[in-house]
Amino acid sequence: MRITFTRTGGFAGIRLRAVVNEEELPAETAAQLRQLVDGADCFRLPGEIMAERKQPDRFQYELLIEDGERQNSILVDEEAVPPALQPLLEWLTDVAR
Amino acid sequence: MKQTHRRIRHTCSIFGIIPPHILRELAKRGTEEQRALALETLAHTEKLRGQREILSAFAIALPAGQKRRTIYDAQNGTTLPGKLVRGEGDPQNKDGDVNDAYDYSGVVYDFYKSVFGRNSVDDHGLRLDSTVHYSRRFDNAFWNGAQMVYGDGDGVIFQRFTKCLDVIGHELTHGVTQYEAAFVYRDQPGALNESMSDVFGVLVKQWNLKQTAAQADWIIGGGLLAPVVKGVGLRSMKAPGTAYDDPRLGKDPQPAHMKDYYNGDDDNGGVHINSGIPNRAFYLAATAIGGCAWEVAGKIWYTALCQNLRWSSQFLDAANATVTVAGNLYGAGSKQQKAVKDAWQTVGV
Repeated sequence: MRITFTRTGGFAGIRLRAVVNEEELPAETAAQLRQLVDGADCFRLPGEIMAERKQPDRFQYELLIEDGERQNSILVDEEAVPPALQPLLEWLTDVAR
Repeated sequence: MKQTHRRIRHTCSIFGIIPPHILRELAKRGTEEQRALALETLAHTEKLRGQREILSAFAIALPAGQKRRTIYDAQNGTTLPGKLVRGEGDPQNKDGDVNDAYDYSGVVYDFYKSVFGRNSVDDHGLRLDSTVHYSRRFDNAFWNGAQMVYGDGDGVIFQRFTKCLDVIGHELTHGVTQYEAAFVYRDQPGALNESMSDVFGVLVKQWNLKQTAAQADWIIGGGLLAPVVKGVGLRSMKAPGTAYDDPRLGKDPQPAHMKDYYNGDDDNGGVHINSGIPNRAFYLAATAIGGCAWEVAGKIWYTALCQNLRWSSQFLDAANATVTVAGNLYGAGSKQQKAVKDAWQTVGV
């Protein structure tokens, strides 16, 4: 499994990016990532999760998840992040910075 | 008023199709009944979205107040507004972030009141609510439609966001814009939204320091980046694209001219990127006019924001509006009007 993570926007407007390959991670970390991806039900999320009314200076996240035959790309506004997806985004943010 | 409220509950549904910005307009300028109805609907909508905007929405209905500040602590959670830690007139808190949010939001209130005669974000004395210590290692500050929210920064690249007066001026100006032009947060209107926040954010700082346009550094977020980062701040209004160049952050992506306009999808169509273009136009106009930037250029931009611009305005509309306002205020063909016209031309608008 490979995840390409991008965070844009925010007050600073600075782009944060990380590419995570499950195969390159220590077993324990890989299991943790797998759990976060499953917990968020990533392959069933819609391609765009937008806030009905945008709040200025919030982040925007872009995720591309590739796992064998399956893949999904998700663009999500910070103020519209589904609670189940939040832990994965926090994990990826920590990896990216 | 009580009777009005009771009647509203039955007619609420007709407001369901009215966009929030129009509801807010009605809440502000409508007849007593329209105001009450609009407020009720706004509050209901926000409740459905699980937000806490209801209290602030109702604060609009209170009699026009003076400076009223309330500071909350999210205690590194994400529930807003969090625990109340300091109200207006309360003594200093032992937490420096609480005191900075309190003091700086007070300076922003005083700036709008004394320079433009504006009574708070909504011009009706809206209470200024701020939440500090939002989330964990949160690299951001934002305006959620009803209040300001500040993160602690990650401690590696960003320091705490309550540190800078211009950041707090920037966030509160998002509130002002919401009640005035209400620019949609995407592409050019979104970049104008961001630029207005930078313009008045930097003006608050200059006003507080009593700096002329020539003396000021025109940097947004100076002091926000940790000392190890190679950069003077997050944005330069004087020279967009030169604020930082660091191995971890990359290079400041702001264009200084329309020829370098960013057309990608990131950041809602580059709202924090393309704001460099109108930011520089303001800097050029203010320095050509001379003196203190809030006195003439600030007044022109503020008048355009409140009277001429709207949700869909483009850069060209902003250029035309500020040239028109400069003519109205200082005379057609005046030095001030020429400075504004030249400024927009220099950035390619």
